[in-house]
Amino acid sequence: MAKIKLEKLPLARREKPGPSNRFGAFDVVIFIILLVFAFSIIFPFYYLFVVSVTPQEIYVNNPTLLWTPKVSFEAYETVFKEPQIWGGLKITLILLFGGTLYQMFFTVITGYALSRKNWVGKNFVMNMILVTMFFGGGLIPYYELIVALGMPDTIWVMIIPGAIDTFNMLLMRNYFASLPKELEESAKIDGANDIQIFVKIFLPLSLPMLATVGLFFAVGNWNSWYNGMLFNKSQNLKTLQQVLQDVVYTPNSSIPNPNARKITTESIKMAAIFFTIIPMMLFYPFLQRFFVKGIVVGAIKG
Amino acid sequence: MEKVLIKQKKSFTYGFKRRLASSRFLIMMIIPAVIFYAVFNYIPMYGILIAFTEYSPTQGIIGSISNRWIGWENFDFIFKYPNFWPAFKNTIIIGSVKIVISFVSAVLVALLINELRMRFFKKFVQITVTFPHFLSWVVVASLFLMMFGQTSGISKLIEQATGQGLRFYGNGKWFLSLIFSADVWKEAGWSSIIYIATMAGISTDLYEAANIDGATRLQKIWHVTLPGIKATAVLLLIMSVGGVLSAGFEQIYNMTSRFNNFLVVDSVEIIDTLIYQGTLGQFDGLSKGESAAIGLFKSLIGFALVIVTDRIAKLCGERGII
Repeated sequence: MAKIKLEKLPLARREKPGPSNRFGAFDVVIFIILLVFAFSIIFPFYYLFVVSVTPQEIYVNNPTLLWTPKVSFEAYETVFKEPQIWGGLKITLILLFGGTLYQMFFTVITGYALSRKNWVGKNFVMNMILVTMFFGGGLIPYYELIVALGMPDTIWVMIIPGAIDTFNMLLMRNYFASLPKELEESAKIDGANDIQIFVKIFLPLSLPMLATVGLFFAVGNWNSWYNGMLFNKSQNLKTLQQVLQDVVYTPNSSIPNPNARKITTESIKMAAIFFTIIPMMLFYPFLQRFFVKGIVVGAIKG
Repeated sequence: MEKVLIKQKKSFTYGFKRRLASSRFLIMMIIPAVIFYAVFNYIPMYGILIAFTEYSPTQGIIGSISNRWIGWENFDFIFKYPNFWPAFKNTIIIGSVKIVISFVSAVLVALLINELRMRFFKKFVQITVTFPHFLSWVVVASLFLMMFGQTSGISKLIEQATGQGLRFYGNGKWFLSLIFSADVWKEAGWSSIIYIATMAGISTDLYEAANIDGATRLQKIWHVTLPGIKATAVLLLIMSVGGVLSAGFEQIYNMTSRFNNFLVVDSVEIIDTLIYQGTLGQFDGLSKGESAAIGLFKSLIGFALVIVTDRIAKLCGERGII
């Protein structure tokens, strides 16, 4: 009796066995298509790395190589010796830490205020923000505004105009609104004001979403180049991405190459690209779930 | 009767004052946002009026609007400007092809990942395909240049195999296909996430019912999964239609090596690059007022497109956004 039961249980739980539930040709096709897609994404990085460590004597004979018998890190040494790269890295790190904190502060307090109910002026502010999602002034008036504010050729032009990102702000707002409202009510009865409730109760409960939004901002700052390109002409304010642009697009590479005989311009360019993306490649697999959670929560409720 | 009215009025103002007092901390928290949006969004929105002026940088936005108003002259000029209509046409083509391609590729990737049965591989694929979204266009354009440029990568491989190089960066048609593939390469995986999440929310009852009816997997995809993501898809499509005239300045700026690739710029010159190049870039040819007129024209069409698509979606029985 007991034996029969044990055999029957797993069957009953499973879906009805049919032709559509077996691992078949359909699954193989899906597997192959996705494998090709994933390969097309990984391959450029692999090729990039191989070329960046290939010495010139091997590269000139065989520029499509997938493997190098001799490894040379001279391209990286050349990149690391270049003060431009370190200057760009310095500016980018300032944006990465300073800019992210600044953006987080304004975006999170705005999101919190808009997540609370029934305060005077809320609808007005909400509509004011929503309008900007569908209509804008365009490049020229924005450019003239930044000039009028005296921001060109300062580091501030890459930080201040990014104070609030509407998408991230709505993400925070939706998250705060999803927390139980009894938290706020009971704290109010105890005499806490809105700022105390926000700092002492809601912020500690929102750490996962704060991490998500913080990561979105951090990536944006690491990739920052647009405002720098528009407004900053001086060399010492260039971000890492702008320096990379210079290295890759200048025909004979703006980086002077003392080892011209031993490594190629391609190797240097690829080493510079690799240097710019390596932090992302190292961290992304572990942080992916935060990004995914952010967009899923934001899109479903927004 | 009169007494009652007075009492109600008094209690209303009293209530408002009380609400104002109890909202004071939240209002304090929102003030920076109001200032931010007023300065960085609403001043440029007002500043778009310089499209009707002969703009003078020394007089600034307000001075130009009050002293140098010239009506529709800038618009007359840009509609006759020989570079404007080709750029407009390119923008429409690139923008709409991108919307269709990115929509189809995102749904396709989502369906494939959703149907995939190997858990470990699923995780690996998701991490891999979403990664390029987080790279800047500077990096993606550099990668593509290394892969498809003349000196290395795939074009070199083709040259070795066929004896004749394929110049992806030397021909408008090939270059456009490169632009579209770069867009799919960078964004398809990331855009698929939202569809995968929606698919995960479809009730399993529907799939069980389909099983009982003897549906094949393709039939289940067609009759259950796709209708399940229809609302989300329509919403995202409406959102993207407004951006059709934005066709991707950052991508085109970078992939044309900052417009230095003269062989292809004609086929990818879009409204945004025209504005940038004509006023701020290397080919000074437009005044600020004229560029602002192009910008206003673009904003208005984008806004109208959102409203029209929204109405169409509502007529078809979907939930719109406005």
